[in-house]
Amino acid sequence: MQGGRRGNPSLPEILYVQWERRLMVTGVVLVLAGAALLLGLFREPVFTAEAAVGVTPEERLGDEEAREAFMREVQAAVAMQKVMPEVVRRAGWERGPVEFAERLDPRFVAWNGEPGLRVQFSGPTPEQAARGANAYAEVFAERADKLGEGLLTGGALVADASVEGRATPAEGSGPRPMIYAALAAGVGLLLGGAAALLLEGRASGWRGVRDAELNLRAPVLGTIPDYSSAEVEG
Amino acid sequence: MSLGALTGAGVRELLDAGSPVRRHYEDLANNLLSLEGVRSVVVTSPEPGAGCTSVCVGLAAALAGMGRRAAVVDCNLEEPRLHRMLGEPNFTGLTSSLDGGKALKHYGHEVVPGLLVVPTGPVLPARAARIQTEKFVEAVRGLEESRDLVILDAPVAESLLESPNLPGSFDGVLLVVHASRTPKSVARQTTDDLLDAGVNLLGVVLNGCT
Repeated sequence: MQGGRRGNPSLPEILYVQWERRLMVTGVVLVLAGAALLLGLFREPVFTAEAAVGVTPEERLGDEEAREAFMREVQAAVAMQKVMPEVVRRAGWERGPVEFAERLDPRFVAWNGEPGLRVQFSGPTPEQAARGANAYAEVFAERADKLGEGLLTGGALVADASVEGRATPAEGSGPRPMIYAALAAGVGLLLGGAAALLLEGRASGWRGVRDAELNLRAPVLGTIPDYSSAEVEG
Repeated sequence: MSLGALTGAGVRELLDAGSPVRRHYEDLANNLLSLEGVRSVVVTSPEPGAGCTSVCVGLAAALAGMGRRAAVVDCNLEEPRLHRMLGEPNFTGLTSSLDGGKALKHYGHEVVPGLLVVPTGPVLPARAARIQTEKFVEAVRGLEESRDLVILDAPVAESLLESPNLPGSFDGVLLVVHASRTPKSVARQTTDDLLDAGVNLLGVVLNGCT
């Protein structure tokens, strides 16, 4: 037979190694998938809800940059940090304002070409998540609405501010232990497979004809069994 | 068996038709005979201790038992082993033929009917270079005329490839791999090296299987 220097292992070689070390690969997959499943089951669930606040300026703003600058002025004027205890109270949150703030994610967005605020809140239950998002959105809208009585630092006026979209308990996403387990199983398959190939490369024992032919890419013309009546050759 | 290959009484047992491994050597012999145009085979291994010499003797004995005429020539001048494993003297052999000019068959003897064994003969430190000469190839070709198969018990593959005449001048190479002792990476490297050198790798013998 003739052939060149081998490159990467061929697919049949890889499949053969995986099959021969299937216990190890399966073990890695099961351990990782099991760990992910347990983590998913015992970790506190997290549900995310979203509310939206629309803020209408007195004069139409020309471009995205102007809308962003306007919302920054609104945010500074509203000063939500000062009223966070009120938001927490309305949300019925019992773990304090610091954790509430950590679970809160307000972002400026545009609603039908007008500036606005999208409020996301992650809570341990769908209802709590919705209450948190709605409470923040309501307080923000109330305070922004009052800004219409005076000019902002940039000279703009707020004509109106209102909650455009209230979060509902059905919204949001909870933990998905089965998805985590499936992902972990995939990672385990890759890790276990790589470990099997690594171990195979360092192994000295040959399993038989198929193993030798796949590794050496040459036909095995004979197999001679070990027999113990022999002595040792140097 | 700590080094996996046989010696002394163990190799002598291979000459016996009742050897427990005779059937396996007969299978190997049949597989080799099925390859067309193979009259001389170089037997080598990736590392020492894979059992090259015992495979040479077992294969030749099986051929002789099948009514074929076989010869084993020890061309491992760095580490002559064949005569020692068969309990034979090494006063004359391959080197005698290369020096004296007589045919190789005159320096061997039949250990069983149909099986000629030619040891290395006396080996001086500078003698290893002789194996590279055309004379050696001619000597083996001469032996082929009177034998169905000439088996060359060669040094390990790395040394073999340092003597380009040796693997390239004969019909093919048989690689002996020990099932529990030859690292896969070393065996793979060896087959790659042999193929890169343009050697006709006939196949592999998996020795010491459990």
